[in-house]
Amino acid sequence: MRLGFIVERLLQLIPVLIGISLVVFLMMALTPGDPVEIMLGDQLATAEQKESLRRDMGLDLPVAERFARFVKNALGGDFGRSFFHRRPVAEVIAERLPATIELTIVAMLIALAVAIPLGVLAAVRRGSLIDKAATVISLVGVSMPGFWLGIMLILLFAVHLGWMPVSGRIDYAFEVPRITGMILFDSLVQGRYAAFLNALHHILMPAVTLGLAMAALLMRVTRTSMIEVLQQDYIVFAEAKGLSRARVLVRHALKNALIPTVTVAALETGYLLGGNTIVEMVFGWPGLARVIVEGIYSRDYPLVQAGVLVIAVIYVTVNFAADVLYTLLNPRVKL
Amino acid sequence: MTMNRLIDPARIFRLRGARLGCVLIACGIVLAPGPAVAAEVRVGFTQDALTLDPANHRKRETETIIRNLYDGIMTQTSKSEVVPELAESVRQIDSLTYEAKLRKGVKFHSGDEMTAEDVKFTFDRLTRQKAMGGQTSPRQGLLGPLASTEVVDTYTVRFKLKEPWPVFPRMLPVQEIVSKKFVEKVGSDALATQANGTGPFKLVEWRRGDSIIMERFADYYGGAPAIPPAGAARVDRVIFKIIPENASRMAALMAGEVDIVNEVPVFAINTIERSGKAKVVKANGTRTFFIALNVTRPPFSDVRVRQAANHAVDKKLLIDRLLGNTATPVAGVLSPESFGSKPGLKVYAYDPNRAKKLLAEAGYAKGIDVTLDVEGAFKDQAEAIASMLTKVGIRTKVQVWEGAVLTPIWRAAKKERDMYMNSWGSGALDPTGIFVPTLKTKDRGNTSGYSNPQVDRLLDAADTEIDRTKRADLYHQAEKIVAAEAPWIFLWVPQDIYAVSKRLRGWEPGSDSRINLHRAYLAN
Repeated sequence: MRLGFIVERLLQLIPVLIGISLVVFLMMALTPGDPVEIMLGDQLATAEQKESLRRDMGLDLPVAERFARFVKNALGGDFGRSFFHRRPVAEVIAERLPATIELTIVAMLIALAVAIPLGVLAAVRRGSLIDKAATVISLVGVSMPGFWLGIMLILLFAVHLGWMPVSGRIDYAFEVPRITGMILFDSLVQGRYAAFLNALHHILMPAVTLGLAMAALLMRVTRTSMIEVLQQDYIVFAEAKGLSRARVLVRHALKNALIPTVTVAALETGYLLGGNTIVEMVFGWPGLARVIVEGIYSRDYPLVQAGVLVIAVIYVTVNFAADVLYTLLNPRVKL
Repeated sequence: MTMNRLIDPARIFRLRGARLGCVLIACGIVLAPGPAVAAEVRVGFTQDALTLDPANHRKRETETIIRNLYDGIMTQTSKSEVVPELAESVRQIDSLTYEAKLRKGVKFHSGDEMTAEDVKFTFDRLTRQKAMGGQTSPRQGLLGPLASTEVVDTYTVRFKLKEPWPVFPRMLPVQEIVSKKFVEKVGSDALATQANGTGPFKLVEWRRGDSIIMERFADYYGGAPAIPPAGAARVDRVIFKIIPENASRMAALMAGEVDIVNEVPVFAINTIERSGKAKVVKANGTRTFFIALNVTRPPFSDVRVRQAANHAVDKKLLIDRLLGNTATPVAGVLSPESFGSKPGLKVYAYDPNRAKKLLAEAGYAKGIDVTLDVEGAFKDQAEAIASMLTKVGIRTKVQVWEGAVLTPIWRAAKKERDMYMNSWGSGALDPTGIFVPTLKTKDRGNTSGYSNPQVDRLLDAADTEIDRTKRADLYHQAEKIVAAEAPWIFLWVPQDIYAVSKRLRGWEPGSDSRINLHRAYLAN
């Protein structure tokens, strides 16, 4: 991989981030709704006190000046103070982001673990009962709303069977000193296995809820791409050489067939990072998506601007990582 | 021995057979939810605290959580009476001065004694500009015309007002006392995440967005004598678990994961009652629901059309069918439990024929076409009301909006729309908090555009009247005028609905929406 490619991709980030900042800033600024009125609700306040709050939030300044300040401060790593949390936005995001990343990673692992074997199986046994069953399952998986599946899982496994917890990341009794904020990772590297199992116990239902819809999509992509690869000459050649069926499938076919799967998985990861609000709500998962949505409703401009920016950076980074992965899967791909 | 220890995960990872390891891990995570726990009460709560700083928010949910860590000079009983808590007494010296005698020997969680200096520091922090590390407290407005707080001696403080404000003692339960020494040591900003109050529980850990864990404060002074039993908390630990989604919160109660849940949806009441594991408990709320009618332009500029709209709505039926009988109808502005609420207002009985007649008298025999604005959460209620209005000739179309968009439209000086279903709450159950902002000329929440100089005069006089009987009469006179002129369709005051484990003892909901767990425990 060329160094030039990496530099080029990093440079591409600059206009993307400026563009996103501008769009989010303008969208929030132009959306009707007054953060001061929302904060005060129907509680006592005089006109002077309202103005004082407005000044505290910096809303007394013209929109252009606010944007200039936002960009200037953001370049220095200061995203401002959340209107409602009344603390630096960076702090609020740093507290919530690891939970979202952790959930996304586990959901993606579940999705890949389900999708790739099923996709391969459906492609190899094309037209068989297994293929048809996989098609039906994937259709159901894609069509099933996440909130419904989540609530059904809660009712079955938490309320009726009592096997799983309804909400949260880990029981209060476990203390895991923070390294990354991702409890599974932190507990594992510190050898706190009981905490790790407890955290795994908590993440399973939200991750399955998120992962199943994604698994359905990835399975379809893997199947299609696998069918295409299996018809290539080099597969016939590999089989003619006398290689075992398993070796042909895994080393020759699957490796090449995975490129579209990786692309879709990368796109889906970005989508999950910003779009798993419903699952975070249903399972009381303390992630970033939930806090951003709450910020949108309360017109917490600094929080939404910074939150969206962070998700955008991750999205671009994940896609960059996918590009790198192509080169590993297929050395003929030159970047 | 707990299941965690029975299944040693370290050993699992040493096993060579991956399949066996996977099976055991699966068993472990399903069967090993965590170690056995000491006595504790868990609350399934809708929203996380925004901050733990008592002076830096304007959110009831935040107040509910914080109130277990911090006490105030006064508190409120579940019957909405204001009683001393950290104070032994609060008395009025003259129309502009209140004096609080503090309890002796009250400890902060740090071990320091609470004195008048802490109370002065707390109230200065709340009322002075930029007194919180450069920020001004958003709660400043809740203390009205409070000008200064003076230390008389170690256990006595005086509050000086700029003008008479009889509601002042009622606002004291919503201000919690912080330690001067602690805030000066850690800095104002640190109070957002650290707590050193005088409340029955100490902060153990705040897992943002997930839970707030507190443990019993052994040196607690005992709490308000008027709310027995006094003494330290009855459980070792309380946990507020944040579960925003209604269905999940109810499921957590059914699964025994939490012992109290707030904001129970009406549709879940029967399921909970039938479960045998939990029961529904209710408290009268403080929020009056109404439909503001734009009195600044036709057709609602005509009082007969407004009265017709009131006669057209069958509140009893709506409360029965849509609200599960969890609301009290109102004939005016005030909740029946509010100070100043008295019978004798004009009541608009459900009478469609009378409504049609009034409409015809106003020159609208063929009916009128209007729009009812509402937030998504109340769409069903608005649609039912719209169908009732339509039946008498007030053909109503419902338009659903996001609250943050709708509120400024209706709070603008110029009113350009027809009807707005909204609500206004007054936690202190005093007309100052609801009557003045919603119906005084051009006040902040006067969405109907109503203006009556006589009502304004009565509200102004009541705002500074010290004599309670005279004050109540002034509000009643104002409410009688408003009821007759009907700038609103007067609807109801909904109850706050909670569900609790059948084992829970020592807690009952109050009108202030608080969940104070000082006296709560679980029966065996």
